[in-house]
Amino acid sequence: MNLSLIDPFVLAQDCPEVITGRLRSGHSTSIRFSHRGDLLASGRHDGVVVIFDIETNGVARKLRGHTRQVQSLSWSTNDRYLLSAGQDWKCVLWDLKDGSRVRTVRFESAIFIAELHPKNHMLFVAALFEDQPVLVDISAEAPTKYTLPSAPRRTQVERENATEKQAAQDAKQDAKSTTTVTVFTPSGEHIITGTNKGWLNIINTTSCQVQYSTRVTNNIIVFVRLTPSGRDVVINSSDRIVRTLHLPDLSNPRLDFDTLRLEVEHKFQDLVQKLSWNHVSFSPTGEYVTASTWMNHHIYVWERGQGSLVKILEGTKEELSVVEWHPYRPFVAAVGVDSGRVWLWSILQPQRWSALAPDFAEVEENVEYFEREDEFDIQPLEEIHKRRLDQEDEEVDVLTIEPVKAMAEYETSEFRMPVLLDIEASDSEDEVVAVGAGQFRRRSPGAGREWMNDDEVPVSGDEARRAATNGTTAVQNGTKRRRAG
Amino acid sequence: MDGNRDSPPKRRREGNEDEYDSPPRKRSVSRSPTDASPQYRLAERPAARRYSRVDDSDDDRRYYRDRRSPRSRSRSRSRTPPPPKPSSLNYKPALILRGHKKGISAVKFSPDGRWIASCSADCTIKIWAYPSGALEHTLEGHLAGISTLSWSPDSKILASGSDDKTIRLWDISTGQAHPTPFIGHHNYVYSIAFSPKGNMLVSGSYDEAVFLWDVRAARVMRSLPAHSDPVGGVDFVQDGTLIVSCANDGLIRVWDTATGQCLRTLVHEDNAPVTSVRFSPNGKYVLAWTLDSCIRLWNYIEGKGKCVKTYQGHVNKKYSLQGAFGTYGGIELSYQYAFVASGSEDGNILLWDVSSKNVLQTLEGHKDAVLSVDTHPTEAVIVSGGLDKTARIWKMNAESVDGTPVAETNSTME
Repeated sequence: MNLSLIDPFVLAQDCPEVITGRLRSGHSTSIRFSHRGDLLASGRHDGVVVIFDIETNGVARKLRGHTRQVQSLSWSTNDRYLLSAGQDWKCVLWDLKDGSRVRTVRFESAIFIAELHPKNHMLFVAALFEDQPVLVDISAEAPTKYTLPSAPRRTQVERENATEKQAAQDAKQDAKSTTTVTVFTPSGEHIITGTNKGWLNIINTTSCQVQYSTRVTNNIIVFVRLTPSGRDVVINSSDRIVRTLHLPDLSNPRLDFDTLRLEVEHKFQDLVQKLSWNHVSFSPTGEYVTASTWMNHHIYVWERGQGSLVKILEGTKEELSVVEWHPYRPFVAAVGVDSGRVWLWSILQPQRWSALAPDFAEVEENVEYFEREDEFDIQPLEEIHKRRLDQEDEEVDVLTIEPVKAMAEYETSEFRMPVLLDIEASDSEDEVVAVGAGQFRRRSPGAGREWMNDDEVPVSGDEARRAATNGTTAVQNGTKRRRAG
Repeated sequence: MDGNRDSPPKRRREGNEDEYDSPPRKRSVSRSPTDASPQYRLAERPAARRYSRVDDSDDDRRYYRDRRSPRSRSRSRSRTPPPPKPSSLNYKPALILRGHKKGISAVKFSPDGRWIASCSADCTIKIWAYPSGALEHTLEGHLAGISTLSWSPDSKILASGSDDKTIRLWDISTGQAHPTPFIGHHNYVYSIAFSPKGNMLVSGSYDEAVFLWDVRAARVMRSLPAHSDPVGGVDFVQDGTLIVSCANDGLIRVWDTATGQCLRTLVHEDNAPVTSVRFSPNGKYVLAWTLDSCIRLWNYIEGKGKCVKTYQGHVNKKYSLQGAFGTYGGIELSYQYAFVASGSEDGNILLWDVSSKNVLQTLEGHKDAVLSVDTHPTEAVIVSGGLDKTARIWKMNAESVDGTPVAETNSTME
């Protein structure tokens, strides 16, 4: 509703410019925006997943279940479920309605990334350390894991042309290749994976077979991200080059994978400083590519039309790891490596002075004022009143709600996370606690982390507290709140 | 039947001349008077005449026709004629809720329609069940009179603002106050409103400040440098992106929730103190109560903001009255019309049609000024509360026809 009142020049800006805020709850290690963009999930170093409310910049929910650092996060399309992968070799699917754990899946090795299927929140794909990637069906209590291949698919032509020695070499290499990153396409019909040998594989979700492979680099593919349309892909690899590719419509049944050739559209790199990139992401439309830099405090923003660097976001005094775009606003969030803060970049909107009074107008230069012919005519008050009332003859419609374009697709699956009033220490979770008026002390190490001692906590924090207050839905006893009246 | 005679000049509007020169199209439209009736919502025509089709002269009919907007014309042609728009409403008293020891300052239906909350100068809030009218809870905790109420969108939490400078949250299921009151205002809290998601609360106070609160943390998120006089009313738009506030200085300001910047200021030439304000259900208009006995509907989007309707007929010189939008007409959305409901200091409740500004009904019953009126979210029910310490429920076409006594709920035995 506010769009019609905002300066169109402000609205036309689509690239964030300055730091407009920061979020803090523990030491964040990974973040992800919800699809509707009102929530930001943040995985912490101590294994807690914190949901921030972007509107209030406050904590909306805390999810406890991991015992080690959270590696990756993935939202379901309706924003009700969240999948988190931790360095404790576990994936947890959370239901944000009550903060409960729907499923916990254990793995035999560390997890690089776990991504939820866009249409079925009971299916996810995960890339594992020194193991083959898995597609996990968690619709049943016991998860079913389907192993996905990592070896690239060699075309018929390639195989025929290869000499015997070469073929043997290829086979040897393929056997050693493991997958480092997996993502679903927006339709969920395909999985795009990147391997440690630099291959990009397109795997069919139903058949679990590689349908197409292309080698984009000789180095490890570190990260892959798609645009919401699924037609563009950005690849971060360890050779210090960020590549973007244009994908065909994979769900098109007439697409022939045998003749498909993917070309690298842009190669973004810093030739002078030879920077390597921590994390890459797309802007909502795929117009911009952002990358956080290793051992450096900057976020690079490239524009894809020309392939040029348009902006460097700066202002932090620390290296940044994960960088994420808001799903529809010019708004970027990035995690500071040292402090664990989440930094927010956006556009500063100047106050328009003309809005403060109806007779104010913003002019470029001095304007000579011409009074209207009848401006100072004295007219009887009643007459003016009557005339004014007579003019009020237009039809007004106060009921019809016009659908907003950006939000239309989510309205069908309306899920609203309940507002919890007793989030512990919503303000901050600093190591300092107030013990009296104006008196503070350091939080004793390990305090408030009792849940960690027992690995198999049956319930999460919310539920435990609810049980403590005899099943009342809204809990009344905030324990660690600000000291107030 | 209608000739090409020119209508008297006083009835012609500028810009209509072109249409006037195309008689065939017009005639085809004017042939069906029934389909035409709901489209005319004209201020200067008395309601009685509008629907008496018998003695309509040609002149009148052309007058109506020419006033129609192009949109409504195409609509009426393509569809079956809609039922005529009612010219009056028939709300009848159904229940009287007694129990407050002092005057009631606000009554509110919960968004799920199951509860009515009323707050009073006797420092208590009462939760009544709807439709039974049974007293469910009496919420005590405020140290001074309570001026304002707001329900959270899930109907589980009620917020109240009081003259003790605090805002409290109440759990409806238990009737307990949340342990942390919102402290920050330096003077009486006049008006509060929850955001549509329930994560924020906006409050306006006598200390001239408008605060935006983070509900979860009970802290002030943002302070809006709003007004130079006591703030009378605040409200959130239906998608939560805008806040409106009004004050005794006669200004109505529209704010961007995300940035806290003023996007629009509405002011009427007379500068009468604005005591209460709310967005229309679709968020495109702002309805404001002023102490010159007027309620004005503002289009805040167009141009620099424009007053599009003025509703008169009630008395409002002294108190801060609150009202509501309601709907009437067909069940189907396209035949629904909106009305504005407000109390009056003479004890009546008035219902105006939004477009025509005609009074659809005057509800009589309260013995003193009616300070607050609210409409049920889905049913044709109105609740009102006033200085006579009673809250009253009014139902459209209620069973209690004339003669049967109005049911009363008494909570003095509590």
